[in-house]
Amino acid sequence: MIFDSYEAFRAANFKPKVCILGSGPAGTTIARKLGAAGIPVVVLEAGSREFSDESQDFYRGTTVGDFYFDLDITRLRFMGGSSNHWAGWCRVLDKQDFEPKAWAPDTGWPIRRADIEPYLPEVHDILELPDFRPDVPISDDIRWVQLIKSPAVRFAEKFADELDKSRNIAVVLNTYATELAGDGKRVTGARLWSNGQDAGSFSADYFIVCTGGLENSRLLLWSNQRSNGGVVPNATALGRYWMEHPTFEGGNAILADYGEFEVDAVNEAFFSPTLAAMERLQIMNFGIRLIETPYAGIKHVIADLACTAPDMAEWVAYQLSQNLRCAAQLYVAWEQAPLASNQIELSKTDVDHAGVPRIELHWKKSELERRTLVEGLKLFGTTLIEKDLGRVRLIDWIANGEDYPTNEETAGHHHMGGTRMGTDIARSVVDANCKVHGMDNLYIGGSSVFCTSGQANPTTTITALACRLGEHLSKVVAV
Amino acid sequence: MSFFKKMSRRSIVQALIALPALSLFRKLPDANASDSDPSHADPNEIVEVNGWILKRSDLA
Ligand SMILES: Cc1cc2nc3c(=O)[nH]c(=O)nc-3n(C[C@H](O)[C@H](O)[C@H](O)COP(=O)(O)OP(=O)(O)OC[C@H]3O[C@@H](n4cnc5c(N)ncnc54)[C@H](O)[C@@H]3O)c2cc1C
Repeated sequence: MIFDSYEAFRAANFKPKVCILGSGPAGTTIARKLGAAGIPVVVLEAGSREFSDESQDFYRGTTVGDFYFDLDITRLRFMGGSSNHWAGWCRVLDKQDFEPKAWAPDTGWPIRRADIEPYLPEVHDILELPDFRPDVPISDDIRWVQLIKSPAVRFAEKFADELDKSRNIAVVLNTYATELAGDGKRVTGARLWSNGQDAGSFSADYFIVCTGGLENSRLLLWSNQRSNGGVVPNATALGRYWMEHPTFEGGNAILADYGEFEVDAVNEAFFSPTLAAMERLQIMNFGIRLIETPYAGIKHVIADLACTAPDMAEWVAYQLSQNLRCAAQLYVAWEQAPLASNQIELSKTDVDHAGVPRIELHWKKSELERRTLVEGLKLFGTTLIEKDLGRVRLIDWIANGEDYPTNEETAGHHHMGGTRMGTDIARSVVDANCKVHGMDNLYIGGSSVFCTSGQANPTTTITALACRLGEHLSKVVAV
Repeated sequence: MSFFKKMSRRSIVQALIALPALSLFRKLPDANASDSDPSHADPNEIVEVNGWILKRSDLA
């Protein structure tokens, strides 16, 4: 059932056991799992069926620190969430991403990749993915990795019909949960805002917060403030360890033969470090994206090479004359070190129309990450030399040690951390089952539970974790 | 694969014609100033010159 207003939902007198906040990939997946298990569930969605400026305005906020996207641009607030404009790149986090790393504090998950692997067949169906290919080692340091460019499933579009027909699932649009109330053991209700006004309180046996990787922290910080710690009793880590995938153009590669690596449908290939290389260089994970460059774009690179290594430039020029597909641009996206100081705070001065403080995002890239970027590109360059595959040139600002440019891709629109998973209540918000520490009936879905970000785009892992949480909850709720 | 394939001088010259006057701008970099005798340098050593990640033997 889909209701366009909270009033219509109330009139239907549907009594859900579980209340999910947010209808993005996380919320929709958990709702479908619970619905399939015969558990009545309501999904409260702040936005409507379509994009609107009015709804989007609730997402405005500010950023302190490094340059970042406007917070109302980097996500979407309507049915289906940011899946309405995601690009569809898919890959599960690597096995090594779940392991603690001695050189990077606060890394390591309380679960392993094996814990989400059983859900990957479901994820493949949901996201319409072919099977993932195993990584291919290129050297001891670098592996070819697959990122699948999927059809970028729009969750609202794909599942609207199924949700509408479901007897167990009610999706209620235009219904904004402004805060949760709790007594330090249980969430007792959600305060709602609908039709431009307060719509009272709603209660259910279980609450699952799936409002996105920025909003999850905002909602819980505000709820906790209003209920004197009654919603997240152990809140030291709440809002903290927020992460993105910084993304910048890193330089160029000239290759003996572009066909040397497997490329995807758009002629791109991806490379990541091995765990051994990360350990040796004490860096984080990264992904180098090789994008084929047309001849016109590479001419100046060869001219530049001629100044440094003329014989090599001659060779490249020859290759170009034989084969016009031998040059590439390199884009690098990397894993951020989880830092408590990268955090979501509530603005002290700015509130939205419902009176909820807006986000003040504190975000800075660290020295460890700069090293990851530079060493990562050098590692790739060295691998190309060792394997006699080609050469790499670092882009000027990296080679010259200059600041990050502000006119580039910047990051992936991947909002991770803030309510991270863990066993230490001082450094995490949820346990291995995504249940908020100390609370009996409050769970969190989405990438805010990520402990580390790896280098892979998050939605495949979000969907796998959502399947796992849905399955876990269907057992818990059925008892 | 050998990085330097056998190629005709003519085809190299043809390809280079399309590029800016390379030889005029040849700047021989001092990739390792401390190594005054290049004959002792390891040709496989990885060097970074003008942003390029190269093998010493790549350098002119
Ligand atoms: C431009 C762009 C490109 C991207 N490309 C990729 C990609 O290629 N690969 C990839 O893996 N990821 C990509 N992403 C990220 C991806 O979109 C997100 O990871 C994913 O949508 C997160 O799902 P979610 O369900 O956790 O949150 P969201 O999609 O953000 O959904 C949250 C939902 O909650 C609703 N909501 C918010 N607050 C409340 C509230 N208080 N009460 C009720 N409802 C609320 C929102 O309206 C929204 O519908 C991209 C993102 C963007 C912006």
